[in-house]
Amino acid sequence: MNQQQVRQYVERYLSAFSTHVMETHPAYLTVKLPVEVDKDIGNRPFYWSWVEKMNIPPQPMILTFFFDPENIPQGMRGEFVHFGANRLQQMFQSAKRHGRFVCMYEQSQSLPSKGMAAGRRSSPLTPWLGVNVKVSFLCDKKRDMLLYLGVNLYQPRIVHDFYPFLRRLSLSPAIPPYHYTQEHRITIAQAWQMIEREVEQRIGEVDQSWADEARERLEEELEILEAYYAELAMREAPEGEEAASAEDGPQHVPEPEPVSAPVDDASPSPPDTPAPVDLGDFRAGGGRILDFLRMHAIPETPREAIDQTAWRKSTPKEEKERRIAELRWQYEPRIEVQVINGGLFFLHNIPPFSS
Amino acid sequence: MPNIAFDRSWIEPFAHLMQNDGPWHKWELFQLAIEAEEAQAVTAFDQLQCLKYLPHLQPYPHQLQTAERVLNEMRGRAVLADEVGLGKTIEAGLIMKEYMVRGLAKKILILVPASLVIQWTKELNQKFGIPAVAQKKEYMWRQYDVVVASIDTAKRDPHRRHVLDIDYDMLIIDEAHKLKNKRTRNYQFVKEIRKKYCLLLTATPLQNDMDELYNLINLLRPGHLGHSSAFAANYVEGKRQAKNNEKLKEEIDKVMIRNKRSDGGIHFTTRRVQSVPIELSPEEMALYQGVTRFVREHYRSEAGALNALALITLQREVCSSREAAFMTLYNLYRRTAEDSPIRPSIMELVEMIKRIETHSKAAKTVELIKQINDKVIIFTEYRATQNYLQKYLHEHGITSVPFRGGFKRSKKDWMTDLFQNRVQVLIATEAGGEGINLQFCNQVINYDMPWNPMRVEQRIGRVHRLGQQRDVFIYNLSTTGTIEEHILHLLYEKIDLFEMVIGELDEIVERLNLSNSLEENLISIILESRSEKEMALKLDNMGQAIRAVKRTPPT
Repeated sequence: MNQQQVRQYVERYLSAFSTHVMETHPAYLTVKLPVEVDKDIGNRPFYWSWVEKMNIPPQPMILTFFFDPENIPQGMRGEFVHFGANRLQQMFQSAKRHGRFVCMYEQSQSLPSKGMAAGRRSSPLTPWLGVNVKVSFLCDKKRDMLLYLGVNLYQPRIVHDFYPFLRRLSLSPAIPPYHYTQEHRITIAQAWQMIEREVEQRIGEVDQSWADEARERLEEELEILEAYYAELAMREAPEGEEAASAEDGPQHVPEPEPVSAPVDDASPSPPDTPAPVDLGDFRAGGGRILDFLRMHAIPETPREAIDQTAWRKSTPKEEKERRIAELRWQYEPRIEVQVINGGLFFLHNIPPFSS
Repeated sequence: MPNIAFDRSWIEPFAHLMQNDGPWHKWELFQLAIEAEEAQAVTAFDQLQCLKYLPHLQPYPHQLQTAERVLNEMRGRAVLADEVGLGKTIEAGLIMKEYMVRGLAKKILILVPASLVIQWTKELNQKFGIPAVAQKKEYMWRQYDVVVASIDTAKRDPHRRHVLDIDYDMLIIDEAHKLKNKRTRNYQFVKEIRKKYCLLLTATPLQNDMDELYNLINLLRPGHLGHSSAFAANYVEGKRQAKNNEKLKEEIDKVMIRNKRSDGGIHFTTRRVQSVPIELSPEEMALYQGVTRFVREHYRSEAGALNALALITLQREVCSSREAAFMTLYNLYRRTAEDSPIRPSIMELVEMIKRIETHSKAAKTVELIKQINDKVIIFTEYRATQNYLQKYLHEHGITSVPFRGGFKRSKKDWMTDLFQNRVQVLIATEAGGEGINLQFCNQVINYDMPWNPMRVEQRIGRVHRLGQQRDVFIYNLSTTGTIEEHILHLLYEKIDLFEMVIGELDEIVERLNLSNSLEENLISIILESRSEKEMALKLDNMGQAIRAVKRTPPT
C-alpha cells in the first residue's frame, strides 16, 4: 500500500463508522473517534472498562493522522500512519472483526418503470453463498493464496472470483421492491463441503515443489540427527560423563554453582497457568477487565517455592526427541484454510462460470 | 499433498445470523476486511515482506542479503557473526520482523546481557515496530509475546520453569560467544529451550577456537558438524588450527554469516586524524618535569609506599589538566603520614600548580572548537578535567554538557538529547554506553589519550559507524615533550591505530599473546625506563612487534 492507498483506506474505514472528521488536509487528518472505533484502535481498554463500570459519558478521543510527514505544519502533533504502523494494522483487524458476515441484495439495473410495475410479476433473486478464504502454505516458510468462492444455493454449483464479480454489481442490504428470493436447495454446511472440495482441487493444481523440498530438508535433518545421536551413544556411553550421568543419578554441572538432582525425580512441573486469552475477545464477550485479570493473572512464585537446585539436563534421548519435535515443527509442510468472511447474496445477474 | 486444515468455526455463527436475519455487517467493512487481507497476504515464499512495514528503516545491502540468506538458505537457524558495527541487531530485527509478518513467529525470546536489555527493547520497538518488552516480573514470560531478558535471570528459578515450558517460535541470543563452553549452566540452559527458529549473535571471530565454534553450532543444529570427536578428527589440527579448511568452511557457511568491513560494499565515510601539538608554557613544563621526577624517584625508592598505578596516573594527569593532577596529589598527601618525607615534595608540586596561570591545552581546545564551528565531542579520561573544561568553556562562551558512564540511562539519553538540540559540546569521560547514538556529530577531540587502544577505538566508534553521513574528524591533543607525545606516537604513527578497522585490533592484540594487557605493558615501560631515550626505544620495539603481527594475516 502506498501512502495514497493508506489514506484512502483510513478514510473509508472511518467513514464506515460515521466518524466525525474535524480537519482534513492533504498531509493529515484529524478525527474524533466514535466509541466502536475507539475501542478497537484507541489502545485504552482500561478507560473503557472504567467508563462502563462507572456509567459515565465517555470523552471521545481525538487523533491526528499524518500521511505525508514531510509536509506537516510546524508544531502539529500527530502520528505517522503508514502500512506498517500499528494503528493501521489495528484498523485492519477492526475491519476484519466488523466485516465478517453480510447479507446483500442486487439492485436490478433495469428497474421496472412505473407503468409496468403494477402489472408485472415480481422477479426472482438467486441465493448465493459467497465465502472468501485464505489458503496458507506453511513449512519453515509461508505463502498465501486468496480464493473468492461462490456457491449457488438454488442450483448447486460453484464459481471462482465471486467477490470481484460482486463488486461490479449494485448491492443493497434491503431487498428491492418487486423481487422475491428463491429457496435454498442445499444447506450452508453442504455448500461449504462443496467449497472444501473445490479448494482441495485448486490446491492440487498448485505447484507442490515447496512441500517436497521441505520434506526433503526434514528427512535430511532427521538423518543427520539420527547419525549424531547414534555416534554420541556409541562414543560416550561406555565412559562418557554426559550419557552416563544422565542415565543414572546425580549429575554435576560445574558452574556457576554445582547442582545435582536425581533424574528419576520428576522435574518441577511448570506453574499451572492458563494460556493467555485475548483480552479483546474477552471484552467483546461482555467481560470486565478486572475479571479478566483475576481469571488470567499469572501468580508470582512464592519465595519458598523457588528452588535453584531443581535443575537437570535432558538425557541424550530426551534431547534427541525434543530436537526431532523442533524439526517437525519447523519443516513439516501443511496447509491451512481460513475463512476471511462470507455472506448471503441474492442476485439477479449470473457470475461467469469459469472453472 | 500436505494435510489441509479447514477452518469451519465460522459456520455456526453464520447459521445463527441467517436464522435471525442479522444483525449483518456493513458491505463497506466487508470489502475493507478483504482489502486488508489482500494487503497483508504473503504472495511469495522467498521475497522479503517486512520492508513494506518499515518505511523508516533503510537497511544496508549486506544486511538485506544476510536476512535473505538466513530465511531462504539457513531456514531461520543461523549464527550472525558480523564484525562490530555492521548492524547485527538490524539483521536480527529484519529476520524477526519477517517471520512475524508472515505469521510464522509470535512467541519470541531474546536473551542478552543485562546491560543491553533496555537497548534491545527500545530498538525493536522504535526501528522495527516490534512490541518487545523488557522482562521484569514473572508473569511477563507468558503475558507478552516478545520478551527481552538477561540470560542470567532467565536461567534461574522460577523464571527457568516458565521459559523451559514455553514453545518459542524464535530464540535470539546476543553476545552468544559467551556460550562457547558447553559445560556451563548457560549453555545447557539454552540447549533446553524449545525453539523453532534461532539466531546466535556474536562479533567475536569464532574461527579462532575450533571447540568454541563447534559448541555454538551444536546449539543451533546438533550434529551439523558431526560428533565432537569426529569433528576433531576431521577438522581440528590444533586448538586454533583447522584442517580440511575448504570442507569446514563450506559446512560453517551453511549456518554462519560473517560480514566484514573489508568485504567492501559497506561504505564508511573517511576518518581524518590530526595531531594537535601543544607547547607548554615554561611554568607548565616545570610542573610536568617536577611531577616526572617525583614519579620516577618514588617508583624506584619503593619506600614511599606509593603504588605504581597512582604514580602513573599522576604522570598522565599532569598532561591532561592541573586540576586532575591536583586532586591526585591532594589524595596522596592525605594518605601519607604527617612526618612522611614525601609531604614536602608534594607540597612543592602543589605550589608549582598554584603558580600556573595559563592552561595551554584548554586554550588550544577553545581555539579548535571555535574553528570547527559545529558539534564537538571532547573525550577525557579524568573527571577533574571534565569539570574544569566545562567551566573553562563556559567562561569562553561555549555551551557544553557532561557525559559519564555512571549516569543513569535516562540521564545519558537526556544529555545526548541536549547535545543534539541545544549545546555545542559534549564532554565525555568514557565512550560509555552502548546504544548512545552520536552519529549526528562528526568532530572528536581526544583531550587526552587512553592507553588502552580498545578504548580509543570505542571513542571513535561512537561517531564513526554505519549511519554517519559525513567524514569524521579526530583531533588528538598532545603536549610536546611529554609522555603523551610518546604514546600518541606509538598508537598513531607506529601501529596506525586510527586506520585500523574495529575488530582488527582485537585480533592483533590477541595474536600478540602478551602476558599482560597492552596498557600494563606501556605502564611498565614508562615507569621502568631510566631515561627518555630508553623509553622511546622500548616503545618503538613494541610498535614494531605489533606491526609485524599486523602484516602477517591470520591463518
